Amino acid sequence: MKTMRWRWLAGLVAALALGACGEEKKSATATTTTAAPAAAAREFAAGTTMAKLRNEKKITIGVKFDVPPFGFKNPNSGNVEGFDIDVAKAIADELGVTPKYIEALSDNRIQFLKDGTADLILSTMTITAERDQEIDFSEPYFVAKGRILVKGDSDIKSVADLDGRKVCTALGSTYEQTLKKQAPKAKLTLVDSYSECLESIQNGSVDAVSTDDVILTGMIIQDDTLKLVGGELTTEPYGAGIKEGDKEFKAFVDEVIAKFKSDGRWAASYNKWIGQYTKEQQQPPTMTLEEALDLSK
Amino acid sequence: MGYLFDPHNWEWLVTGNNARFLFEGFLVNVQIALIAMLFALVVGLALALARLARNRALSMAAGVWIDIWRNLPLMFVILYLGLALPQPWRDAYESAAPGFLPEALRTGRVFAALLALVLYNSAVLAEIMRAGILSLDRGQSEAAAALGMSYWQRMRLVILPQGLRRMLPATVSQLITLNKDTTLVSIIAIEEVMRHGRVVTGVNFFGGVPAPVLQVFLFIGLMFLATNLALSRLSRRLEIRERRRIGTTVKPISGAEDQLAVARVD
Amino acid sequence: MSKLLDLLTENAGNLAGGLWVTCRLVAGAFAIALVVGTFVAALRIAPSKWLQRLGGIYVETLRNIPLLVLLFISFAGLRRAGVPIGPWTAGIASLGLYTAAYVAEVLRSGVFSVSKGQVEASLSLGFNYAQTLRRIVLPQAFRTVIAPLGSVTIAMIKNSAIVGVSLLALPDLLKEVRIIGARTFETSEAFFWAATGYLLLTGAATVAFRLLERRFAIRR
Repeated sequence: MKTMRWRWLAGLVAALALGACGEEKKSATATTTTAAPAAAAREFAAGTTMAKLRNEKKITIGVKFDVPPFGFKNPNSGNVEGFDIDVAKAIADELGVTPKYIEALSDNRIQFLKDGTADLILSTMTITAERDQEIDFSEPYFVAKGRILVKGDSDIKSVADLDGRKVCTALGSTYEQTLKKQAPKAKLTLVDSYSECLESIQNGSVDAVSTDDVILTGMIIQDDTLKLVGGELTTEPYGAGIKEGDKEFKAFVDEVIAKFKSDGRWAASYNKWIGQYTKEQQQPPTMTLEEALDLSK
Repeated sequence: MGYLFDPHNWEWLVTGNNARFLFEGFLVNVQIALIAMLFALVVGLALALARLARNRALSMAAGVWIDIWRNLPLMFVILYLGLALPQPWRDAYESAAPGFLPEALRTGRVFAALLALVLYNSAVLAEIMRAGILSLDRGQSEAAAALGMSYWQRMRLVILPQGLRRMLPATVSQLITLNKDTTLVSIIAIEEVMRHGRVVTGVNFFGGVPAPVLQVFLFIGLMFLATNLALSRLSRRLEIRERRRIGTTVKPISGAEDQLAVARVD
Repeated sequence: MSKLLDLLTENAGNLAGGLWVTCRLVAGAFAIALVVGTFVAALRIAPSKWLQRLGGIYVETLRNIPLLVLLFISFAGLRRAGVPIGPWTAGIASLGLYTAAYVAEVLRSGVFSVSKGQVEASLSLGFNYAQTLRRIVLPQAFRTVIAPLGSVTIAMIKNSAIVGVSLLALPDLLKEVRIIGARTFETSEAFFWAATGYLLLTGAATVAFRLLERRFAIRR
């Protein structure tokens, strides 16, 4: 009996060790998608971020892992997918390197850029003057609108009805301030990620979720008993986050984004992730970084 | 009860890649726990020796260090290091991390998590080791001194081999606590079982079977329960063997959260 | 240095609010942990094998599952199952029930620290089981459990930080500090005050239990 138990334990340890080895191979292919080799290898001036990334053969990009349809980890394939990922791929392809995705939460992504954990942030990040003090932004690649999401049977019709109700948004996002201004009597529930907001409204522990319309649309795609109400609270231009002061890299990212918008890839991506569900068409944004920054002042 | 055992609510477990995905996440937790434990033991021993040193200043400094890290919430330490650990440190880790580790364990953020776990657990283990060493009969040290051994000889040849043996069971139960604590690193976005659990509960975006939160996290809880029960069996067995060997009764040291208390010698 | 103080004065309200939430969480959970822990300990030393086993299952289950998993089950999980549990109830109950397993273990080992001879002597003097427990065992056990109970309490104060980061989103000290840090980008300064707050709480608990210990110590 005694030896039996010991054998069982040894078996468990062995199984764990084996599993560990097995996992290594799998996840290596799972989290990094092989970039299509850039047809014509572009040359970059030595000393630029682009040359450095080319040298390392990889770029680390902070994206959302739980915000469909922008950045979402698919448990079946292990890959991260979404609109932000399409933009990220375009940038990595142009560099001719492999993109490596790490999860950027609303309250750590600025830090990721500052300390170099990520080379680039593409995580539904709104361009604001306040953030612009800490990091640099690319030209806007998407313009979202702030809206409110409620349950299908809710009596909340607009932002005015939020008084005394529980509203969920992400810690460190722009909506914390927006809601304090537009619905000062609402009770804020600040969580780490929007998937927690979705869980909270589904389980009824909050009455509403407020954030960008496209993120809310992603929630409706997952649960069609939810609905959008009220008008547009804010305009939220998304920009790629770049380390403060890296002008060459910003110019490069702007150039790739401009091409992404003009050559049809933007429209295809929009339709794939949003349009096919909402049956709406949208043109690539024309707003400039200047306008976006003015908006937040 | 109907909701809990409704087979429809458990269907996710056998469809798609869900069960495997959760298990893979769980392995990351176990590996983080093992690596952190290894380093915590080394650092803990150094701290315990410093605390017991005859040099007053060294002993005091070690004591303050131990008390600070022991009394801060681990959640706090993880969050802070996750946000504030300097990049060169992360880079150093990324380039030093051996290739056989899974991808999830080779990112710089894991270094922040490991550092937090080691800082906290080494402080706890240092206290346990100190108690183990102090629990030895003074006569042992005196007899060794009478034989002409130096301080370090006494430590190395007489005190440590016995003291460390006595704390083996406590170390295994600390591993249980550590294993549970690895769930906290999910907050700094390390791809372990809690994150995988959250992803699985959202699989219906990709047209999968709905995976209810209650069932998914019960399943995760069961994985921890099974592993930790095995560990606590092991700990108890070691303890009984030790007791038989020394012939005295070591105070029973059970779960990690109270073992600290039992090990405290004032 | 002045940056640190500025952060404190500018956000004093939020920090105090967070500390108060943490205190309420800890107080509520402590009450539950003591009551449930005593009950479970009683089960574990009951003169029936089945009751002992029941107590054992409670302790083993709660002690081997991470608190974070427990919080997910007790809040999001139960709400999805149709139980309208609130974040405060879920938070206090989870932290309390989790800690109760440790309290039960401390109390049990306290009871066992009283030598068997005393129990046998008491029984042979004609005391029954309940009387023996109340008059002989518990008064002595109480003394030996004060210090370990203190450690469990400190562990619980530290674990309360987990409640705030989970789905429950209670605005406790750690959460408030993270909100301040995210708004001002002064992470280190904000976290410094959280550390101070937690060290104050755990320090106060340490002192309180030391005093208790001294008060009930046997003078020799």
